[in-house]
Amino acid sequence: MSVLAFPLARTRPRAARLYPLILGLVALFSVPGAPRAATLPPGSGELVLRGPDDAAPVEAPRLMTDVTVDVSGPTARAVVTQAFRNTTKEWVEGTYVYPLPEDAAVDSMKLVIGDRIVVADIRERAQAKRDYEAAKSEGKTAALTEQERPNVFTNAVANIGPGETVLVRIEYQQTVRHSGDRYSLRVPLVVAPRYNPAPPIVNLVGEDPATGGADPVPDRDRITPPVLDPSTHAPVNPVTVHVSLKAGFDLGALRSDTHKVKIEETGPQSRTISLADGPVPADSDFELVWKPAPSVTPTVGLFREHVGDRDYVLAAVTPPEGKAGPRLPRDVTFVIDNSGSMGGTSIRQAKAGLLAALDRLGPSDRFNVIRFDHTMDSVFPATVPADQANLDRAKAYVAALEANGGTEMLAPLQAALKDSNPEDTKSIRQVVFLTDGAIGNEDQIFSAIAAGRGRSRLFMVGIGSAPNGHLMQHAAELGRGSYTNISTIDQVAERTRELFSKLESPVVTDITATFSEGGADVTPDLLPDLYRGEPLVLSAKLPKANGTLTLSGRIGDKTWTQTLDLSSAPEGAGISKAWARAKIGDAETARITGKMNAETADAAILKLALGHKLMTRLTSLVAIDATPRRPAGARLTSAELPLNLPAGWDFEKVFGPAGERAAPIAPPPVQRRAELRKAVAPGVALPQTATDFEIRVWLGLTLLGLGLLVARTRRFA
Amino acid sequence: MRAAITLKTGRAAAAALLIVCGLGLTAQGAWIPAKAALAQALLERAFAETLASGRPEKPWPWADTVPVARLTLGGESYIALAGSSGQALAFGPGHVEGTPQAGEPGTAVYAAHRDTQFAVLGRLKPGDPIDVTRSDGTTATFRVTGSRVARWDESGIDPQAPGRRLALSTCWPLDAVTHGPLRLIVEAQSEARGPVQPQ
Repeated sequence: MSVLAFPLARTRPRAARLYPLILGLVALFSVPGAPRAATLPPGSGELVLRGPDDAAPVEAPRLMTDVTVDVSGPTARAVVTQAFRNTTKEWVEGTYVYPLPEDAAVDSMKLVIGDRIVVADIRERAQAKRDYEAAKSEGKTAALTEQERPNVFTNAVANIGPGETVLVRIEYQQTVRHSGDRYSLRVPLVVAPRYNPAPPIVNLVGEDPATGGADPVPDRDRITPPVLDPSTHAPVNPVTVHVSLKAGFDLGALRSDTHKVKIEETGPQSRTISLADGPVPADSDFELVWKPAPSVTPTVGLFREHVGDRDYVLAAVTPPEGKAGPRLPRDVTFVIDNSGSMGGTSIRQAKAGLLAALDRLGPSDRFNVIRFDHTMDSVFPATVPADQANLDRAKAYVAALEANGGTEMLAPLQAALKDSNPEDTKSIRQVVFLTDGAIGNEDQIFSAIAAGRGRSRLFMVGIGSAPNGHLMQHAAELGRGSYTNISTIDQVAERTRELFSKLESPVVTDITATFSEGGADVTPDLLPDLYRGEPLVLSAKLPKANGTLTLSGRIGDKTWTQTLDLSSAPEGAGISKAWARAKIGDAETARITGKMNAETADAAILKLALGHKLMTRLTSLVAIDATPRRPAGARLTSAELPLNLPAGWDFEKVFGPAGERAAPIAPPPVQRRAELRKAVAPGVALPQTATDFEIRVWLGLTLLGLGLLVARTRRFA
Repeated sequence: MRAAITLKTGRAAAAALLIVCGLGLTAQGAWIPAKAALAQALLERAFAETLASGRPEKPWPWADTVPVARLTLGGESYIALAGSSGQALAFGPGHVEGTPQAGEPGTAVYAAHRDTQFAVLGRLKPGDPIDVTRSDGTTATFRVTGSRVARWDESGIDPQAPGRRLALSTCWPLDAVTHGPLRLIVEAQSEARGPVQPQ
């Protein structure tokens, strides 16, 4: 690769910040002896993608990613730089499907070609696509970032020259997750292969589209990139992660359970964190967890930002831990996903989590266990008392589960939500759902929860190295429960304990937020009940951040009130984006659950997206270089970049045994395009190294023998 | 009577033809391993001269290749030639074009005939040493990490792979008598650690 010249600082001062990063990425590409040697074994030759029908193989560009996150109190700003390197002699277009946090507000994209930086515009999705396609055919280098799911995005870069490296730099805002005294930042690094239920063959008249009529995953082609089999191909897509943490309080413990990290203390409240062993393959989410120093109890976080002629505030308040009401008997239905995507380490985590949960049931509780793949079963026909005999039976059942098959989540969810005593007030009904969420029909699941939740509360437990955070977070919100992640087997005990302290019952109910000044636009519009340790997070747009915000609710049988002074709130960055992103989420939910019709919701989303320059389902970021570069007549080949299988997954359980042409893994048709393509590394062509001397010698000797035989026959004739 | 004579003459001719062809083929077949053995002797001398003189020496005046390294594996030692054309491989292992020298960053690839020099590949086990003495006199020591079978055009060998690696290839299966598309690849990793480049 030729050296890229970046006289950026001269032309655009801001770009100077890019400089070291670009050099780092370029160095990683060009230095074969770089530390990634430790993680990436040989065989990482060209990535050639085979089409389904023996079409000419396509060579994919290589990708290297750097993620730099600045955490500042309650919000984080992340910069994702993806370097697309074209190793071929052709002009190429590369498409990469990548994940972002489910609440990410993506507001900036820049395309860097040589020494030029092109800043992307936000446009309506269809328009952005048209502009990109036009630039592509004119031979201009262009980049298009589109949202497929709130946590899945596609980056397409057209006209990368032979041997060239093009950078795409995306920025997003996210909020820090907070539960009890634990704060966490999650950086998803890989999109797990999804199971996409097949469209119904017969469209029954009068059937509700949400439950059957239409294709449950209309965009299935867009969320099924090719996936590499780790047993035959070294991991690809190396990634580096840097976090600069300014917690806003004195820090106690700081750790990552998912990756080995190097931590540098830069002050009592701040740290810098990077990966200890250099780049890692993008095959599992990165999670960082921190706690305040033991003497500190941060309870109130209130920040504001002034943008345009409006003020925005973000409040994160943890109510005091009062005494909860009397403990009511519980009626708990556990649902465990044992589909093929859970194969490997995930199913072990899920089983360990479920077994630990069963141990925590009390004698007055009732329970049931449902398991599902593309089929489903339950241990008992209905919930039964949690006595020893029933628990033993359920535990034996759980211990024998194996992961296999498709992921038909709708039926088990509906079965779990089905309540035989909807009017019962003497017990509380809960559903605990353990899954990796590797499905494409999220909207169908959301509308089923909204329609069927009744008095049940839904607690999602995300399993594995790359769970679908969008499904988990949103299902828990709609189900008025909460969301817990179990990323590694070591976390099972701690996270199950936490989940159970939440299951005891909501600590704070009937929460209201009142601003003393009028005209506040608050999100979420309906404030949720809070479980033990959870903060109340809300954001609002105000004409002027003056006066007070009063929060009130019920803790057990007491009322709780807290008043915050807005004018004394410190400045926070990105509050307006977080607010707009949350409003867009509200509108999407209203659309899915039928509270708002599609046109009204879309209009509201579009207005917010264009106003705050956010990428959404309806808006995309597009950057187009000014001058055409691909010579007329030069061919442009397109390739989807392959993804790693998430760490701990079992390839054959998801895609079927190697060699077979990705036969459906289960009786129902499974639609995953990955099954059609398999990347292989052709590598060095090896010469013919067999001689035929043995054949020649044997043939020669045979002829000789025959000749002698003929000669002898003559003599005796 | 005349017919009998004609028959006798025809038979004699056929016998002679069969014997001549048989001798020819046998000699040709036998020449292949003999040539390989003879060539190794000449190559050994030329490589010794190369090491002494510091510049490539041809093993015989009309040779179109030069010895580039001595491979020591499984108790045997062979002189490898530059390039992996059919002519070069007739005399010894060939250093495949486009791959780095053994001991340099990347994957060096050598190929040889399964029925002459690289018959030994089938006996190598993980952990076995492979020494490569280069024409500059330095010796790189590798340890076998494993072996696998792949198609010749899908070897999966990346000459620019990180680390210092070695791959030896020969035709597979080892005891087949006809040409086939499969290759046995033995992979090895350098014992020496190269300088770790700063990022």
